[in-house]
Amino acid sequence: MTALQTSAPPASGRAGGRPDFKRKRTVKQRLRHDWPLLLMTAPALAQLAVFFYWPSSWNIIAFMDYSPYRGFWENPFVGFAWFERLFSDPYFVPALLNTLKFSALNLVFLFPLSIALALIMHSVVSTKVRSVFQSIVYLPYFFSWVLVVTIFVQVLGADGLASNWLLGFGGDRLDIMSDPGTFTFLAWLQWAWKDAGWGMIIFLAALASINPSLYEAAAVDGAGRWRRMWHITIPGIRPVIVLLLILHIGNILTVGFEQYQLQREAVGYQTTEVLDTFVYYRAILTSQYSFGTAAGLFKGVIGLILILVANNVAHRLGEQGIYQKS
Amino acid sequence: MTTAAVRPKLRRRSQRAAWDEEPSFVGKFVKAAFLICYAAAIVLPIWAVVATSFASEAALQQAGGNLLLIPTEVSTQAYREILGGGALTNSLLLTVLLTAGGTALSMILTIGAAYGLSRPGSLAHRPLLMLVLFTFLFGPGMYPSYLVVQKLGLLDTYWSLILPMALNAFNLIVLRSFFMNSVPAELIDAAKMDGAGEFRILFKVVLPMSKAILAVIALFYAVGYWNMYFQAVLYTPGLETQPIQVVLQRMLMSTQGMPGADIGQYQAAEAAPTAALKMAVVVCTIVPIVIMYPFIQKHFTKAIITGAIKG
Repeated sequence: MTALQTSAPPASGRAGGRPDFKRKRTVKQRLRHDWPLLLMTAPALAQLAVFFYWPSSWNIIAFMDYSPYRGFWENPFVGFAWFERLFSDPYFVPALLNTLKFSALNLVFLFPLSIALALIMHSVVSTKVRSVFQSIVYLPYFFSWVLVVTIFVQVLGADGLASNWLLGFGGDRLDIMSDPGTFTFLAWLQWAWKDAGWGMIIFLAALASINPSLYEAAAVDGAGRWRRMWHITIPGIRPVIVLLLILHIGNILTVGFEQYQLQREAVGYQTTEVLDTFVYYRAILTSQYSFGTAAGLFKGVIGLILILVANNVAHRLGEQGIYQKS
Repeated sequence: MTTAAVRPKLRRRSQRAAWDEEPSFVGKFVKAAFLICYAAAIVLPIWAVVATSFASEAALQQAGGNLLLIPTEVSTQAYREILGGGALTNSLLLTVLLTAGGTALSMILTIGAAYGLSRPGSLAHRPLLMLVLFTFLFGPGMYPSYLVVQKLGLLDTYWSLILPMALNAFNLIVLRSFFMNSVPAELIDAAKMDGAGEFRILFKVVLPMSKAILAVIALFYAVGYWNMYFQAVLYTPGLETQPIQVVLQRMLMSTQGMPGADIGQYQAAEAAPTAALKMAVVVCTIVPIVIMYPFIQKHFTKAIITGAIKG
């Protein structure tokens, strides 16, 4: 996201300081001069070519009736037939709706939680308390989903710690971990436990960059704590909020695979099926090449469109967005 | 963000500014209670996992569940089982190797491209950069990626757990921004005047100045390899020795009594893993992260700022 901006200003800014004759050299001369740089870049580009651009071009089979047993160009083109089949598939639309549901929950309840955490953290005066707390809440971000789900099962599962306490007090076992009715909330809780703390890091950085003399001036003018937050703090972190919002919106169909796959057996596919698990269970495991590719392409294209639209809207609202028009 | 805004200085003085009024007692109390509860919600489960992993069978029976907060009787049986050779040891070793090898490869790719694309005015750096940046906007999809791994003949090989995810474009861009903005161009120019080649400049000038951010990026890569689960499910379901996360998942499923759970061959002859053994595996997957973490944590903010705001 960064360099979308960096590519333009600093490059030209620094190139401006260089002698002009360098720009007029032929490609051959520049190659002789720059070959070490290209050599360094080559392995990464090779990786991208093989594992990003090659699979990207394979998406063409979403428009074919592909079979690996035919020569590639012998596969007939079928237009948008697979996409039509997607929307008549009894599992696809529920998976899409589930994906949107989990995504929306995260956008509406997780994102603000990170901001709230950052605001609270920022208002803590003691640096010691801050650093201890930060160390603790960042940690789960580095745990795998297997680990997070394991810990949740151990604590909140039917044989878990909470269940045991309830039994000890004469209550019933908890079965919220395998109840489809509570799964949506639990999925959110797991996500919050894992990522909300880490999510605050970028807001903390933005908060720290607000000029303290603004607060001082406002306080001298009689603005109270809440007015200062509303008129200084929130505008100060707004560009970061917008930036993350755009990224979230672009990723609205990406909620991950692991968290839902891991709990699929316990909760049932109806509640846990998201687009990625749909592709895995309904296409890859059954070798439906074109069908699965169409589902993935649908996701990729929607994500691409959303991120461009969101960024455009941000520009119209006068925000910086993730990249600038050049 | 304006340039004035970029001051990676998170710490303020541990003192309230003169103009800042003291918050009310209730406000302070609510805030403290919230922070303590939040931290406890993270620390307590982790503590319970560690405690259980050291509990003896008898202590677990006494606690009557699969997790306890205070082990009444300590036993290291679970750890001896994990480290005593056998399937779990193999899995741990494999994961360590994958993590070390994968991180090394990832760092080579990332450093090379980040520096190669960071020199202003170099040949074709802009179109090449665009090739990298496009990966932010689009994903090729799971099935095409799977097909490519299949075509390359990498299914059910350990290469499929490293190569497809060896490069993270975000890390590349963060590092490139750092090279461009935080390594003084004068130093590089001076080295060039002295006749140093690009490789020499990279190793002798640029990298020594970038240790902190390199550590953070290496941590991100290492954590990615260490936590790898999805790729193993997708690409290497047939291998006998699986990454530790897959093994952990199978152990978890095997005692959850979930229908259709894949228990795996690794312990067909043995009884279901005890709670202590499961939790000891959990601890083994946490420990490397917790060990690395304090050394690198202090640089997080800097890396994030370089990546997200400054650019």
